[in-house]
Amino acid sequence: MKFMKSIRTVTAVAALCLAATTVAQAENYKIAFIARAQADSFAAWLANGIMDEVKKYPDMTVDVMDAQADDAKENAFIENAVANKYDLIIVQPNNGEAQRPYVEQAVKDGVKVITTNARIKDIPGSSSVDADPYEQAAVNARLALEQVPQGASVVVLNGPSGNMHADMRRDAWQKEFFDKRSDVKIVGEQIAHWNKEEAMRFMEDWVQANDKIDAVVSMNDNMAAGALEVVKDDPKFDKMLAYGVDGTAEAMLLIQEGRMTSTALQNAYDLAAKNISVAHDLLTGKIEQIDTDIDCPLVTKDNVAEFIEIHKKSGAIK
Amino acid sequence: MQKTLLEVRNISKSFPGVKALEDVCFSVKEGSVHVLCGENGAGKSTLMKIINGIYQPDGGETLIKGEKVEITSPIRAGELGVSMIFQELNYTPEMTIEESLFAGRWPKKSFGRIDWKAIRQRTLKLLEQENLPYDPEMKLKDLSISNLQMLEILKAISRDADIIIMDEPTSSITNKEIEILFEKIADLRARGKGIVYISHKMDEIFRIADEISILRDGKVIETRPKDQFDIDSVISLMVGRALGQGYPKEELPVGDVVLEVDGFSGPTGFSDVSFNVRKGEIVGFAGLVGAGRTEVMRALFGLDERFGGTVKVHGAPVRVRNVQDSIRNGVVMLSEDRRRYGIVPIRDVKENVTLASMDQFFQKGRLNASKERSRVEEICKKINVKMASIDVQVSTLSGGNQQKVVLSKWMLQDPDILILDEPTRGIDVGAKFEIYKLMTNLVKEGKSIIMVSSELPELIGMCDRMYVMAEGRITGELDRAEFSQEAIMRYAMNMTRKAV
Amino acid sequence: MNNLMTREKWQTIKSRYSIYLVLIVMIIVCNLLNENFLSPRNLSNISAQISVTTILAFGETILIIGGLLDLSCGSVLALAGVLSVYVFKETGSLSLAFAVGLIVGVLCNFVNGILVRRFNIPAFIATLAMMTVARGIALLFTKGQNLYQIGDYVWFGQGKIGFVPLPVFFMIIVGIVTWYILGHTSFGRSLYAVGGNEEAARASGINVGRIKIGAYLINGAFVGLAGILLMARTNVGAPNAGQGYEFEALTAAIIGGTSFSGGLGTAGGTLAGAFIVGFLNNIMNLTGVDSYLQQVIKGGIIALAVGYDMWAKVNRTRKTLGAAKLPNERKEAKA
Repeated sequence: MKFMKSIRTVTAVAALCLAATTVAQAENYKIAFIARAQADSFAAWLANGIMDEVKKYPDMTVDVMDAQADDAKENAFIENAVANKYDLIIVQPNNGEAQRPYVEQAVKDGVKVITTNARIKDIPGSSSVDADPYEQAAVNARLALEQVPQGASVVVLNGPSGNMHADMRRDAWQKEFFDKRSDVKIVGEQIAHWNKEEAMRFMEDWVQANDKIDAVVSMNDNMAAGALEVVKDDPKFDKMLAYGVDGTAEAMLLIQEGRMTSTALQNAYDLAAKNISVAHDLLTGKIEQIDTDIDCPLVTKDNVAEFIEIHKKSGAIK
Repeated sequence: MQKTLLEVRNISKSFPGVKALEDVCFSVKEGSVHVLCGENGAGKSTLMKIINGIYQPDGGETLIKGEKVEITSPIRAGELGVSMIFQELNYTPEMTIEESLFAGRWPKKSFGRIDWKAIRQRTLKLLEQENLPYDPEMKLKDLSISNLQMLEILKAISRDADIIIMDEPTSSITNKEIEILFEKIADLRARGKGIVYISHKMDEIFRIADEISILRDGKVIETRPKDQFDIDSVISLMVGRALGQGYPKEELPVGDVVLEVDGFSGPTGFSDVSFNVRKGEIVGFAGLVGAGRTEVMRALFGLDERFGGTVKVHGAPVRVRNVQDSIRNGVVMLSEDRRRYGIVPIRDVKENVTLASMDQFFQKGRLNASKERSRVEEICKKINVKMASIDVQVSTLSGGNQQKVVLSKWMLQDPDILILDEPTRGIDVGAKFEIYKLMTNLVKEGKSIIMVSSELPELIGMCDRMYVMAEGRITGELDRAEFSQEAIMRYAMNMTRKAV
Repeated sequence: MNNLMTREKWQTIKSRYSIYLVLIVMIIVCNLLNENFLSPRNLSNISAQISVTTILAFGETILIIGGLLDLSCGSVLALAGVLSVYVFKETGSLSLAFAVGLIVGVLCNFVNGILVRRFNIPAFIATLAMMTVARGIALLFTKGQNLYQIGDYVWFGQGKIGFVPLPVFFMIIVGIVTWYILGHTSFGRSLYAVGGNEEAARASGINVGRIKIGAYLINGAFVGLAGILLMARTNVGAPNAGQGYEFEALTAAIIGGTSFSGGLGTAGGTLAGAFIVGFLNNIMNLTGVDSYLQQVIKGGIIALAVGYDMWAKVNRTRKTLGAAKLPNERKEAKA
């Protein structure tokens, strides 16, 4: 009995404190941004963007949490955010299906949730902001359809298997390019884990094993840059095509130099801005629910200059 | 007529290049103790490992209670009623007595659950029956070695073993514990068990044996009832030559005091210890296990801390903060625990020998390999280390040769004072004699030796002067003329303390 | 007796060089599988590919011999690398950037050494902590973003001395340094003793603490160098680079015969171990083995190589135990 009593007292005190803070900051919405992994450069870029963007809204604050590419940690952060009475949670899933039940529970507990990069589909009551991973790869694949010569030899660099973006991008290349071009031969395909160093190792070996490589199809810019690093001083590969996705600063520079063919920009700033504006609309009651995508513009040598400006803004390049 | 429990006939076993056992016949009768003795490497362990199923013989047969059997593994040996108690006990420190007693054969309830109640009951019954005052929940890490040994015996009994093999069970327990062990052995014998007892120690052998077999070079040289042997005949049969009881002691004139220790006290359990050592002198330290002799020596050598006291070498006070200081002062120590403090087993002889004197072979950190090689070979030859070459791993050498490697290491330092803590422990008779001879040669060269030993005969045989310790203090000092087992034991038991 | 000696010597040779035997068999098999395998360009590629992890492996070898370990090398490598790249971008001085990389590596490992030595934290735990801390600092410092446009810095990773790629050149230098330290200095000798039996080393007058910290400092310089080379090779200052490299380094060292129980290991063995892994990766890529299957094969071959090596060693110990001891004792008895 005594125990029950003390629990009640504690709860009462806690409720009072909470009420007090709520009253004091009536106009301040608390947002939790649960990032997939701060060690992942796109995730870090997105987190930085969100921190910048939220400054434009005096009635909102954001706390960033780092799930360190671990489902268990990510799920724990979602639970904690609900328990700590955040008004809205932005979830950048490590693995959508693993986070799904936790997001569903958060929605049930009355917290507003946005899933982003990549969205978790079909959770009633939750909203989402994303760039379509299929489309990101598809814009490149459609360009390649025209550019890649007849009977070409290509190599493919994949992201980690099981990763939603990795799988969707590869799927887009399959449907939009490889299925339509049976003349093209894949002479090497490996998982390089989004990683430049690993991609370099594969490319070095492929260059040995093959007389010609006409194109590099990479699921992200990092790996494409790795492949290009290997052949950069080799005139034999001057004409080699190289496709990436993401629009990193490095890729933009490579496109400007004419060494890389194209990429699709997944602009973290756009994504951040969209997330924050949707969050604001949801919190102020302007909208109830929304699923929206940002554009994923194709970047080629023709339009690269304008995108380089974006990266100069972030300080990644001068 | 007693029934024969175990018999091996014409057992042979070869390892590549060598015959470890040749046509060995050996048997144990019920209700008797059969002592197996022989030098290290004579083949005792190999024979026991065959009986325990660890090795398979190349030829010959094994009979248990008259039936021919094949002992394919230690588990099979257990089923046949053979239990072995190893010299080095392996145990899981965190296990309790009851867990360990039934390890691997815990009584089960439904769904594979362990029946702890039954275990407790059976443990208590067993402890009561064997008259042992243990708490079943005590952890093994809290037990002394002799208690662990007793537990092993208990385990053997609980498995209904008829044949119990004990491999040098008294090598690391105190005299009092030895008495308890012997009582137990007598009890087992009275109950009709057959016991194989491996030992070097003559007094023990003659106390408990019914029969004695002597193994040499992989062959059984003799098997006879105890009363047809005497100590000298056993030793000479073991060694293959007549070995006098005498020690190679030469009484030489001693010089000035080279080491003076005054008021030594330390956290490891000794206080107010003062003694001195003269040039060319062998000074003994006697006492019971736990009297604090090793602890004093470790502190003197800089291995352990001490609270207070001064050390003077050649009359000048010196600081001893660590081993390096001590070596610089010309004081070195051969530890009682060779495997722990003496050798680096997986490295070769050469590296072990030069370990303490690397500055002699590394100029500005660079190795002079040929100089090292020739110096090590020279010193090993002098100390008579037997090995294929100086490049073999020390772990492959016998105990006596390992000890000589440690000695060689210190001889390279050309020290003035050597502390030898149990220099002959665990090594065979022949090697012991060589170590004694070496000690004599060293004092002839003008070096001084502190000899700590638990074997009174060797202290009496080798020392010029002796200190006796009890409970962390020096309780007596004796000159060679005053040496006697009785006098030493009186001081060691601290019976004359009030008189001193 | 004579016969026995030669037999024993052969056993010693077999066990000491068994890993090189594995390597030779591997070269022969790879050469049969692909005619490009032994081409100078391919060999130079493989050497460059393994250079970074092999340099780390030399550091691990030194540590493991001393009974220590470094789990932080992948992270410290990233920290040293990005700081070095940053300094280069700010100052344009290659030598300054190089020095910074080495110093960062050494400092982090000095902390490792102090944690292990002074606070008696097990090496496994201490370096695990450093692994997280160093990665965190690298990410904090760069805000998780890659440093691009590193200019002439790439020379460290892509330049050549004659026909030898610079990373390979550095790998050889580090290998020679390791070989020299282990076999020809009193430090190396002490290290084997400390790893083989710390108590005996202390009782022989070796300053165990100094040896342990020294081992970490050497490892630190290697890790710092590896960081510089990796960033330069990939032409980017990546704070998330080198994840999992500690295990690649450990794998090479262990395959090369370094014993986790301390006191055993050689620079040559580690180099052989690194090449075994490198050849394996290379030949599977050259012959186009499926990427999932690669992982299975890799694990299998590693188990096989180490298994053979251990078997050759154990076999020998058993034989010499049986062979060396008994005749000695016999002689003793007859003497």
